[in-house]
Amino acid sequence: MSKYAMVIDQSRCIGCMACIVACKAENDVPPEMFRTRVMDITKGKFPKLRTEYRSELCNHCDDAQCVTACPTGASHNRDDGTVQIDRKKCVGCKACLAACPYDARYINHEHGYADKCTFCTHRVEKGLEPACVATCVGRSRIFGDLSDKNSEVSRLLAENEHRVLLKEAGTKPQVYYINRYPNHK
Amino acid sequence: MEVIITGANAITSPYLHIWDWRVAIYLFLGGLAAGCMVMSAIANLRPGKSVAPDDPCCWRVVILSPIILNIGMFFLFLDLEAKHNMLSFYTTLQPLSPMSWGSWILLLIFPAMIAYAFSVIPAENREVLRFKGLIKFAEQMGRHLRLLAKINFAFGIILGIYTGVLLSSFAARPLWNSSILPILFLNSALSTGAATMILMAHKNEVKLFFTKVDIWLIACEIVVIGLLFYGQYTSSAAARESIMPFFTMSHEYFPYFVSIIALSVIFPLAIVLKFSEMAGEHSETLSLRQKLEMNVSAILVLLGGAIIRFALVYAGQLSKFTGLS
Repeated sequence: MSKYAMVIDQSRCIGCMACIVACKAENDVPPEMFRTRVMDITKGKFPKLRTEYRSELCNHCDDAQCVTACPTGASHNRDDGTVQIDRKKCVGCKACLAACPYDARYINHEHGYADKCTFCTHRVEKGLEPACVATCVGRSRIFGDLSDKNSEVSRLLAENEHRVLLKEAGTKPQVYYINRYPNHK
Repeated sequence: MEVIITGANAITSPYLHIWDWRVAIYLFLGGLAAGCMVMSAIANLRPGKSVAPDDPCCWRVVILSPIILNIGMFFLFLDLEAKHNMLSFYTTLQPLSPMSWGSWILLLIFPAMIAYAFSVIPAENREVLRFKGLIKFAEQMGRHLRLLAKINFAFGIILGIYTGVLLSSFAARPLWNSSILPILFLNSALSTGAATMILMAHKNEVKLFFTKVDIWLIACEIVVIGLLFYGQYTSSAAARESIMPFFTMSHEYFPYFVSIIALSVIFPLAIVLKFSEMAGEHSETLSLRQKLEMNVSAILVLLGGAIIRFALVYAGQLSKFTGLS
């Protein structure tokens, strides 16, 4: 059984925001909403500054609190490890929005359901990469199957020190971050 | 540190704002209905019947409870984004979702509330039901009044706790994620229920009985509010930050600062008024001043209960884990 995950190599992100545009175009995301965002965080005191580019999206947590909070079973963990929403069951109670520590969800006001990144499951089922991954010019976003030891995501996680966001939330996220800062030498 | 976010959703950034006055009103009215259930059960179950069963508070409040809960649920319904999918609540039971078992509990509570409401209608007033079937049902339920009162007492406690558990189950929102919150909401629910009994009761002795009950409940409420803030302050950084809106006198957090000041005045004032009532001499008929004191203190308690719900619903959405940036 597949176990999908994403690795984000932060040192390779150039902040072009193409992932955001590709996601919106692919998934028909309402104009004022986003399924993914890019954080541009600058720390330090001039001239010693450090900038971190960090893409954020639904972490498709193994222990997803949005799934636990959902009263109708609309939010669910699929066998492939992703977290999906059954729009026909969603009542728009917004419990999942309150439960998500990553603020990765939004309400599609036109249709009334909660929505978020699906890891472009409709593309993955056809053997394609998620839209944000396919469009990433710096190969900062890498998507793959963790159950396959030879996949690029498995290799990157084996070779690099990696972290997840808000580990203390205990949600077991499946979006991993490597190389927080560019290594300028 | 400078943070630029490209792709932020207005509904979650810079902070969550998904639930508004509709949910706050639902929680308040849900709590009020729970309090009314418990207090009216106490009124009908008291040994020796020192609370007169023919007093309006013993039956009018019972009839009022499901109406209050229905109004509250109407506000919750208004908040749902996909109202056409509402039946999805009842096509599954998600055991770990408080909202799921809450919706099932409400389904169980309603018949019990309705049966209890029919059981307490005084025999001389049953004719207002008009239909023979309803009058007969009221007569049958009337024979089981004590059992129904006991069931409603238990359901009232569960409902009062549930309104707090609904918020406290969200680990992502540190202000809500406290085991004290359901206790506070239950306490507030009971206190507002006692206040309603005071407002609705006609007999002097009944008003005094619930005044005594409410003094203890308000005192407990003050302690529980203090414990909530103390627990948050001595917990993680995120939990500590979550209570800061209440203690920061800035333009941004002004409503929260005002709410804590208001609670600091309202509850002690309500207690003082109640002690003042207790100290006076009580004849069969209450003087205008005594009535005024009782009603003002009861309204203060109701106001305090509403402020607690509004302040916590809004402030909880400002709180989040602090480790992201």
